[in-house]
Amino acid sequence: MQRAVGSLPLGPALRARLAAAGFQTAQELLDTGPCGLSREIGISKEEALEALQVVRQECSGDAAKTAGGAGTTRKCTALELLEEEQAQGFIITFCSALDNILGGGVQLTKITEVCGAPGVGKTQLCMQLAVDVQIPECFGGVCGEAVFIDTEGSFMVDRAADIAAACVQHCRLIAEAHQEEDHQKALETFSLESILSHIYYFRCRDYIELLAQVYLLPDFLSEHSKVRLVVIDGIAFPFRHDFEDLSLRTRLLNGLAQQLIIIANDHKSAVVLTNQMTTRIGQSQSTLVPALGESWGHAATVRLIFHWDKSQRLATLYKSPSQKESTIPYTITPHGFRDVQPPAVTQNTESTEMNPRKRPRREEEK
Amino acid sequence: MAAKKLRRAKLPQELCERLSRYQITTCQDFLCLSLLELMKVTGQSYRNVQKLLCQVSLACAPKMQTAYEMKVRRSVNPSSAFLSTTLHSLDEVLHGGVPCGSLTEITSPPGCGKTQFCILMSVLATLPVSMGGLDGAVVYIDTESAFSAERLVEIAGNRFPAYFDSDEKLFCMTRSIHLYRELTCDSVLKRIKSLEEEIISKKVKLIIIDSVASVVRKEFDTQLQGNLAERSNFLARGASLLKYLAEEFSIPATIPLLLPLEQLSCGRSELIWKFESEVLSEALGFTVEVIKERNCTPCPL
Repeated sequence: MQRAVGSLPLGPALRARLAAAGFQTAQELLDTGPCGLSREIGISKEEALEALQVVRQECSGDAAKTAGGAGTTRKCTALELLEEEQAQGFIITFCSALDNILGGGVQLTKITEVCGAPGVGKTQLCMQLAVDVQIPECFGGVCGEAVFIDTEGSFMVDRAADIAAACVQHCRLIAEAHQEEDHQKALETFSLESILSHIYYFRCRDYIELLAQVYLLPDFLSEHSKVRLVVIDGIAFPFRHDFEDLSLRTRLLNGLAQQLIIIANDHKSAVVLTNQMTTRIGQSQSTLVPALGESWGHAATVRLIFHWDKSQRLATLYKSPSQKESTIPYTITPHGFRDVQPPAVTQNTESTEMNPRKRPRREEEK
Repeated sequence: MAAKKLRRAKLPQELCERLSRYQITTCQDFLCLSLLELMKVTGQSYRNVQKLLCQVSLACAPKMQTAYEMKVRRSVNPSSAFLSTTLHSLDEVLHGGVPCGSLTEITSPPGCGKTQFCILMSVLATLPVSMGGLDGAVVYIDTESAFSAERLVEIAGNRFPAYFDSDEKLFCMTRSIHLYRELTCDSVLKRIKSLEEEIISKKVKLIIIDSVASVVRKEFDTQLQGNLAERSNFLARGASLLKYLAEEFSIPATIPLLLPLEQLSCGRSELIWKFESEVLSEALGFTVEVIKERNCTPCPL
């Protein structure tokens, strides 16, 4: 109740008038009442009432915070977080090597970024995840829906249909092997049509449409509460050309990252972004690094880099708070994103060649 | 979409006038500001500004469709999904042919047959749907003056002798291929921008640009500083314009890229080729690579 008037979320003109009239704390405003306020400051009674409602809402929110209430505050102990994390599901990728290095799959409530050169399989992984998020719980999935925001136009419906059909077939085989009732019941609703109807597709042609869509995303997710995955395929494409003002670009990207983090946490969904690679020209050599600059590197919690090694596709876990850096091979089959068959020996390559600026991890002696 | 005026986003009139005093007239200007800046220019409270933001976003945001609706729409009209190249093995690898609604890139060293392939595709696009064509006009943007009308007639006559049996049919076909000679990057970009109206008025069903790399190489000397950024800017803008056209009108667009093998041996140029290719490749759906040994090897991305 002792909150300063200048910190309330009122319009700037109103705040200036309140300061000029000598109001200092929110309590003074509430005591004055709408008629008194309108007389003293010279605003209409309706505006005064609106301002007081805002003040009341802010102050009740404050009181709840000081009393240690739950709800809007995100205060909890590490033990509660641990239990939450362990109960949380992962979105599997159907490539067991990739799931292993990620610690089980793509994690919910975190932002995962996938970078890679063109043609290496980023969109394939996104389509695979959009199908895998819908796997029913009895088969080990999270039983959610997917939002697919496409900025490059690389989403091919026929390919998504192929991947979905292969996934349904896989689940059918599991159900036949185990012969349990809930498996059969889940299979009834898990079909090609239902999978495709629960992928919500948005085609954003430029960065303004992308910004607008991300502003509207929280409302959309509140309406479709079963969504557990938001894919933005090609976060770099609309921001890479036509931007003379780089500081504006950094600001917009940071704002975007903040909103996505809030969306991931509030709606318990995973956010997957794909990024392009750009050439950084050094003195004597050039290296491929993820696009959009250094500051964007902080936005994602988990970073995967896909690259080629002659004709083998490799995935490297470049940044993760809980898993070790490692590289695994994967392949793209007509059924989607899969392991290499027969499974090759997974190499834990030295991370120095991927990221020369990170200190190389040394194996601890047991 | 970005240039949509705020008036049309159904914002109240006084608010639009107030914002125009700060030079904020389009949705793009509005959405690029932070919340605090918006509070300052609109003079409204935090809650109201958030509501305004939602309103403007609704005016700009794309429409939602489910993947199922997209699939149903495609299956209703299956013949319009691909343009078959009539080369059976190539069609098999591409799963039907050159896809409509996305960009296809054809790269090769000089002399492998890119321009010949483009001429063949132009003929195919003018054929009626019953013969596997698109029954429409073709826009051919030629930057190397390599297009030969005589060769076009020769290919048409020898490939489909039964169909092109009369002069009348040949004239009809050649009349529907619109050739534009553009020799600078600027004029190529201008031409692509003007294509939207031409596509509607002339019922164009195929866009060919032969070739993008030659204009870019002529104008941008990458030894000079700053040219790399400008060049990638031009390429990216052209690519996104073409993609928009391809998707909007559901037509294929092919762009043969010249890839001189001799230059690859020199270290710096190799880097340049990768850079250019990577900007364009992000925009593309398919890349067909023709190798110097005169074997056609498609590598779909």
